[in-house]
Amino acid sequence: MSQHILDAAALNQDEALIPKSGWFEQSETLQKLRKNKKFPTIWCPGCGIGVVMGALIRAIDHLGLKNDDVALVAGIGCTARMPVYMDFNTLHTTHGRALAFATGLKIARPDMKVIAIMGDGDALAIGGNHFIHAARRNLGITALVVNNSIYGMTGGQYSPTTPLGKRATTAPYGNVEPPFPVCDLAIAAGATYVARSTVYHALELDKFLAEAIAKDGFSLVEAVSYCHTTYGRLNKLGTAADMMRALKDNSISRTAFDAMSPEQKADNTKIVRGKFVDIDRPQYTAIYANLITRVQGGEK
Amino acid sequence: MPNVVQQTQPAAPPPATAKKGPRGAVTIHATWCKGCRICVEFCPPKVLAMDESENYPHVAFPEKCTACHFCDTHCPDLAIVVRKLE
Repeated sequence: MSQHILDAAALNQDEALIPKSGWFEQSETLQKLRKNKKFPTIWCPGCGIGVVMGALIRAIDHLGLKNDDVALVAGIGCTARMPVYMDFNTLHTTHGRALAFATGLKIARPDMKVIAIMGDGDALAIGGNHFIHAARRNLGITALVVNNSIYGMTGGQYSPTTPLGKRATTAPYGNVEPPFPVCDLAIAAGATYVARSTVYHALELDKFLAEAIAKDGFSLVEAVSYCHTTYGRLNKLGTAADMMRALKDNSISRTAFDAMSPEQKADNTKIVRGKFVDIDRPQYTAIYANLITRVQGGEK
Repeated sequence: MPNVVQQTQPAAPPPATAKKGPRGAVTIHATWCKGCRICVEFCPPKVLAMDESENYPHVAFPEKCTACHFCDTHCPDLAIVVRKLE
């Protein structure tokens, strides 16, 4: 065992917390982390969820929002551990119900920027119903769906976004179900901002997250990530670095996709990243506030 | 290996033959790093390399850093900070 691991294990609780000075002060991103939380994070070495966490912090920092004006709502899963490490208002809820709790929070506090952080299984299988109805109502919530194609925390069961034919612990001969196109689902349900990027394109993810949080309406950002410990191992996709390189090689921008001929578009197997929808529709809490004013004023 | 912070600054001013452009200083927080190799495999000017144990990265060539911020935006454990030098 290396000296490094022995040192980390020998640290007491105080030393494992964020250091008070020096290295930590150099980064604005790190200032937004929870000061009393023990690091490193629980995620596997190289997991892309940490990259998404960094992108989310940079996006909030870029918008200049105060920590108290942001509420992070999460369910259960690898991705849902994300708010635990960040110094904002956080709500850790039951599996798949992040958007349901976020709906209540947004209606009670319309001034707050509510961000629901969900994994693919959390958002689309267990919480699929909440997902489409939050988009239909056009509540001013930002839904961040981190898509790693599998249920990572519970041991690698196939999820609604596992690609056709890929292996999972509950699909040892290959998945026979076609996957959900997350962005198309949100567009069809009525979301006003829909964008997709990958963890390799982390700075693009920053930009999309900042636009989504600033948007007054239901906004979805799909962050395509990877799970190298279960999905990658079962499908022989290599290490975390290999899977991140695959995201670089197997994704194209929306501009390049739009320039393709219809035949090429039909054959395309690459991840298309970019902004798909950016429209304006009346937002739910504004309509609701108008209703209250109208009815209290005696109108029918 | 230092206990908490491994910090490497450019030891000397870059030689006159060095390429022009922005320079950076990389700091790796050793107790947060899990050794996933992403920074080492992707660093465009190959500033970072694995140490003798092959388990953790260290700053092998600090003078090569161009402050592109790839490693600190892609570190899954937020263990790297890149500071642009004047």
